[in-house]
Amino acid sequence: MAKIAIIDDDPDIVDASSLVLTSKGYEVVTATNPDDGYKIVKENSPDLIILDVMMNEPDDGFFLAQKFRKENISTPIIMYTSVSKSLGMDFGINELVPVDEFVEKPISPEQLIGKVEKLLQAKGGI
Amino acid sequence: MENSHSPKILIIDDEKGLRIGTKRLLEGEGYYVETAENGYDGISLGTKTEFDLAIIDLKMPDIDGLQVMKEILKAFPDTVCLIATGYASYETAVEAIKFGAFSYIPKPFTPEELFQKLSQGYSRRELIIEKRKWKEEREERLLEVAFEKSRLNTIINSISDGLLVVNKNGEAVLFNPSALKYLGFEQIKIEEYVIDKLPPQIAGLINKFLPLEKCEQKSFSSQVELKPNRELFVEATSSPVANPDGTLAGVVVVIKDITELKKIEFLKSQFVSMVSHELKAPVAAVYGYLKLFSDSSIHLSEEQKLNYLNRSQIRLDGLLKMVNDLLDISRMELKTVSREISEQDLTVIIKPIIELFQMEISKKNLIVNVTVSEKLPHLHVDQDEISRLFTNLISNAIKYNKTGGSININITQSGNYIVTEIKDTGIGLKPAEKNKLFQEFFRAKNEKTKDISGTGLGLSIVKRIIDSYSGKVEVESEFNTGTSFKVFLPFRNGNNNTEQKADKLT
Repeated sequence: MAKIAIIDDDPDIVDASSLVLTSKGYEVVTATNPDDGYKIVKENSPDLIILDVMMNEPDDGFFLAQKFRKENISTPIIMYTSVSKSLGMDFGINELVPVDEFVEKPISPEQLIGKVEKLLQAKGGI
Repeated sequence: MENSHSPKILIIDDEKGLRIGTKRLLEGEGYYVETAENGYDGISLGTKTEFDLAIIDLKMPDIDGLQVMKEILKAFPDTVCLIATGYASYETAVEAIKFGAFSYIPKPFTPEELFQKLSQGYSRRELIIEKRKWKEEREERLLEVAFEKSRLNTIINSISDGLLVVNKNGEAVLFNPSALKYLGFEQIKIEEYVIDKLPPQIAGLINKFLPLEKCEQKSFSSQVELKPNRELFVEATSSPVANPDGTLAGVVVVIKDITELKKIEFLKSQFVSMVSHELKAPVAAVYGYLKLFSDSSIHLSEEQKLNYLNRSQIRLDGLLKMVNDLLDISRMELKTVSREISEQDLTVIIKPIIELFQMEISKKNLIVNVTVSEKLPHLHVDQDEISRLFTNLISNAIKYNKTGGSININITQSGNYIVTEIKDTGIGLKPAEKNKLFQEFFRAKNEKTKDISGTGLGLSIVKRIIDSYSGKVEVESEFNTGTSFKVFLPFRNGNNNTEQKADKLT
């Protein structure tokens, strides 16, 4: 079964999301800040990363996603956002945000499973 | 004016009989007459005041009549001079006229001859006066116009908004220094083609009018970021300028600096985004837990259920507190806080707060010391506000403290201030965190704070309350060692000012 990393600074979101995924049989590793997030991805090489924007952190989710891509970690990324717009932060128009899917919180278990399965299939099966 | 007077005439002749006879004759006709019996007297009279007419004898013993005339004309070029001469000849006539005489009268002359010549001379004089008046009036008007124009220029140049007028060919015809400043031009020349030099959006505003023949009464505006990162934002408005016949003469562009407005707008939208984000987080957490309960494919143990219900409860409590804090902030911002200013003893406010937190204090095994200087003056404040201020600070000192740590509260007087220091032995702040401490929603996030809940609004409220009493707050902190807040509240100027302010607010 595929391995999924959840990186979110809200421990409740991490809890609920991991429970949904483990109940479907996925293996889940979690982190609640970008530094730990980077570590668990490096150590566990997950098949999929669920990453929160974590706008309160100095190195937010976008920064972390970019870091992964710069290091040629091409694992699909689902980005959790809580506000659909760009949160007033300035992203240059030409600056591509290197994530595969955006999901706006709150998210239902069906939605989450749907997105995860879709991305894993696109990646080439489980 | 001069017309209403009787014509003023000067007779210069060395022949006494002629002088007196002519004087009598002319006075009878309503002339005002003065006479001189020689050339020098004639010069001194004729150069002292302006005469309408002068009859000057050509041959006088002391000085030549033409010389006398020259002197008089030098002083008053508009005096009409007639040369009287007994040697009337073509040559003398030509010579007299060459020197500036209006005409000449051959001597002896009959009264009719004299009247005829004088009446011609006076008509001439009237013409000259009329012409002179017109000239003066015209000069005066020109002066006025010039003054009006320079005043208008001064006004246009003093306006802080930029002003640029272009003609139908897109050439600059009028502009002020502000326009140059906003557009970043060193200098432009009058009648220089400027459309291709302007920022595209502003050129676009002008080009909307230029192709039109008729002048349509409408305006176009556009907000243009002239320097990136909100350094210079302007609103440019173009309006047509019409010729008297209604055709298009040109376009006037007014450029207004709206940088500050844009900055505020940006901060506001950032704040709204942040509030939405912060409010949504607990909603998403509770939503996530509830979905676990309702999803039939997920099995939860009793222990998990209890845990998730408990967590949901905590998140909802946090949400409620955040909404209340936001309402407080909004009320403070709108200044609709109703205050009840009264004399308050700070220790009486602070002691109950510590009692309120007794459970948390004993749970963490904290030691709380309160020391108060003797004979402290009382504050004139709203009790609820000051209580909220210290509740937030003491609550932080407990929340972020280590188990078995201490809190020292020290109240003293320093100048016009009552200084309250609240010092904890908690996790402390990193320098970067300290700078952001009073910002809305800022929470120090690190391994030590992840289990501490808070809205990120408490210190922002603290700061607002302190500011509203013209006080100040100082923070000292060392990461891992502790933090100390010093609150300065003025006790003297509080008396009248705050009371008045409170009256207005309520």
